Amino acid sequence: MSTILTHSISLSFRGRRRASIAATLAVILMWVVGAYFVDVSLGRTSIYSGVTLLVCLFALTLIGLRKRLIMLPLMSVSTWVQIHIYTAMFACVAYVIHVPSIIANGYFESVLSWLFIVVSVSGFYGLYTSRTAPKRLTALSTQVRYDRIAWHRDQIVIAAKKLLDQLPETPDRNVLASFYQTHVQPHFVSPVKFLYLMRPTTTKKRQLLGALADLDRYMDARVRQAAGKLAALIRTRDELDYQYAIQFRLRAWVILHAAMSLLLLVTSIFHAILVLGWMGS
Amino acid sequence: MDASMSDADVAWLRTRQPFASLDTAAFPKSTPLEGILRNDCRLMRCEPGEVVVREGDYGSSAFLVLAGSVRVVMSSLPAANLGRGEIEKLSWGEAVRSWWNQSKHAEARSIDQVTVGDEARVGSVDDRPTIFLQDFAAVLRNHETLVLGPGELFGEVAAMYRTPRAATVIVDEEATLIEIRWQGLRLLRRDPTFALQLEQHYREHWLRQHLKEIPLLRHLPEDCLDRVEAATELHSFGRIEWNADFRKSQTLSPREQIESEPVVASEGDYPTSLIVVRSGFARTSRIHGSGHQTIAYLGSGHLFSLTEIAIACLQEEPQRPVGLRQSLRAVGFVDTLHIPIEVVAADIIPHVRRSELPVEAQEFVRRSRTAPTDRRREVRARENTKLPILNPHDVVTQTGNHSDRTAQLEFLVQHRLINGAEAMVIDLHRCTRCDECVKACATTHDGNPRFVREGVIHDRLQFVQACMQCVDPVCMIGCPTGAIHRHAETGVVQIQESICVGCGVCAASCPYQNIRMMPVNDTQGRPYRDGKSGLPIMKATKCDMCQSQPSGPACVAACPHDALTRINLTETAPLLHWLEQR
Repeated sequence: MSTILTHSISLSFRGRRRASIAATLAVILMWVVGAYFVDVSLGRTSIYSGVTLLVCLFALTLIGLRKRLIMLPLMSVSTWVQIHIYTAMFACVAYVIHVPSIIANGYFESVLSWLFIVVSVSGFYGLYTSRTAPKRLTALSTQVRYDRIAWHRDQIVIAAKKLLDQLPETPDRNVLASFYQTHVQPHFVSPVKFLYLMRPTTTKKRQLLGALADLDRYMDARVRQAAGKLAALIRTRDELDYQYAIQFRLRAWVILHAAMSLLLLVTSIFHAILVLGWMGS
Repeated sequence: MDASMSDADVAWLRTRQPFASLDTAAFPKSTPLEGILRNDCRLMRCEPGEVVVREGDYGSSAFLVLAGSVRVVMSSLPAANLGRGEIEKLSWGEAVRSWWNQSKHAEARSIDQVTVGDEARVGSVDDRPTIFLQDFAAVLRNHETLVLGPGELFGEVAAMYRTPRAATVIVDEEATLIEIRWQGLRLLRRDPTFALQLEQHYREHWLRQHLKEIPLLRHLPEDCLDRVEAATELHSFGRIEWNADFRKSQTLSPREQIESEPVVASEGDYPTSLIVVRSGFARTSRIHGSGHQTIAYLGSGHLFSLTEIAIACLQEEPQRPVGLRQSLRAVGFVDTLHIPIEVVAADIIPHVRRSELPVEAQEFVRRSRTAPTDRRREVRARENTKLPILNPHDVVTQTGNHSDRTAQLEFLVQHRLINGAEAMVIDLHRCTRCDECVKACATTHDGNPRFVREGVIHDRLQFVQACMQCVDPVCMIGCPTGAIHRHAETGVVQIQESICVGCGVCAASCPYQNIRMMPVNDTQGRPYRDGKSGLPIMKATKCDMCQSQPSGPACVAACPHDALTRINLTETAPLLHWLEQR
């Protein structure tokens, strides 16, 4: 399979995907035939599938090591990711054949089952989100680096303050300033809410822009122009929050997936030791 | 350049030609002639068989023969004869050890690395183990060579135009040479006699060679080539230090920008000469609405106005001449050869195969010689046949880098990204912004990434602020010590840190802002400071394509989603091919 996925082969992404799926299906088929022969020769298919799963889990966690040893010519990380994806798919099939029920009984075994399912689901979520999130980010008007988002947020606060300070002291200026103090500034200085990180919405932006539009009737042309600029800053902040949420989710997912995978590997090793101990006794 | 250049050496040089005839008044007080000879030159004494310059190497200096003689080999020598080997890379063990022992502080150096030693001379940058040609006699027997004697100059074209060396030069008899850094050469050109001498030298020794390298002229008989050589004119458009105007031009609208570019030939004018790009970049554009639409960009070796001239020459009966269908403008700087149309008609076109002419000219010939019914049949037949795959070295493709994606083409030219031989391009539809590329770069470069994952964006492509290893590296202009130079074999622009004085000229010269000045720290993270001024010691840092790493560019190896690549933008094909794969 790795030969098909090698970076040097000039396949289109679609062609590569088809070839990899075909190769994975062929490997699954051969493995299932192997399991059948183990079964008919009165061997233990659970050992056959268990060893396969453990080897797969080892192979899947090696990608973390590859990322750290980037200076070595061990194929590109993207090739490793492709191998990781299709090995994981194969491991899912091996798991279904290995376990008597999707969630095994017994405390330890059920924890192991849950861990496998959580890691698998997180893997598929990661695959989906890493293919869809980039397009959503690219569709935004500006591209901001994750580590610079906080700085950009501060710049918005500074720009808003400067905007208001430049206005002459008039009653309609006070309307805008008061609105800024009570509604906009708390939003500008507050961190992004956890709920927003999970599911970004435009509710806050719409609320603020709606309320700002309602104030139009109390302002003259000059202050209204400043209000327009404030509205632009609200939109910019919303876009930044959106970028932050998407990028945060992608980063948090990598950390969670890696941590859970490691836990799964350790638990699986312990499970294998228990099985070997039980077989020995 | 050479600490051992003494006053006596300078005085002796002033007695030799061409320095003896140079007018000292032509040089300003800040850069007197003696100063140029002392600081930008060095004397070399070479043994017979010693290779002075190798074909294909990137050099930043020219050589003048003071005594003895050298031979210019007119054809290519095998790489093994020239002592070319693999670039030294760290072994796996060394690479892992270096990563393991890396300081937790960015840009950490040991005290030895920041202390100037005896070996840290400017001259040491260009020094490499002396290469002697194996079996010199056999080379002389089997290859055409040209002997250069006292007073003759070589290597000036590669040095001035920042291009690879065109030929290998070997010492014939024990020779004394003077090596002149290109910065010095540029200053010496202020003397009109010296500038004229340079041009005459090019015309005498290199023009014919360059003409022969043009695929269109490859089958020309010698007598025709003589006439072409005699009639060819040399022209330059724009400023060779184009980076000085680049930032200002970036503030202009695309329309104003194209209008501000020096015009080499205008659309609608009758062609007077076949234009060959010798170095630099140019773009062809067509009037579209009230602006100009970019059709293609041209680099070294590309031709302009061939179609129109071919059509004019192939007309059976004299008709009204065909005007230029596109304009040619210098993008920054372009150096061109102009072959008059009469010479092209008389000495070139008769020796060019019809199949080698541009498609439009071939069409013209076919249409003018076939009946209307045959034409219809021909069109149908052509529609049913697949287009042939073009060889990039064929004459047909020598008319520039074209692309169907006009907006992309406009963008590349407008931002002068066409200068990049190893540009870092990110497909934003695949990039998850994980910054693994940045982390990998930091891992392999003292904990400090050598690029910023930011840059101009067109559609789904981001052209990242990482050194593009430009074809025309203007960052090398003005480096007072020559610390920034090109790797002789790979063409990678690199910085010799031991002689970088941290002046920041290269960072200021880079039009793409891809060089950053960084303070160097000790292993505890405290910046080293200059003993006199007390200011932190700064060094220029830039992408070096991870030349010493076994993995190659770490940024590419680390991208988990195939989103990042290093690509040659001097041609349109690699980028189009990369996009087709997506």
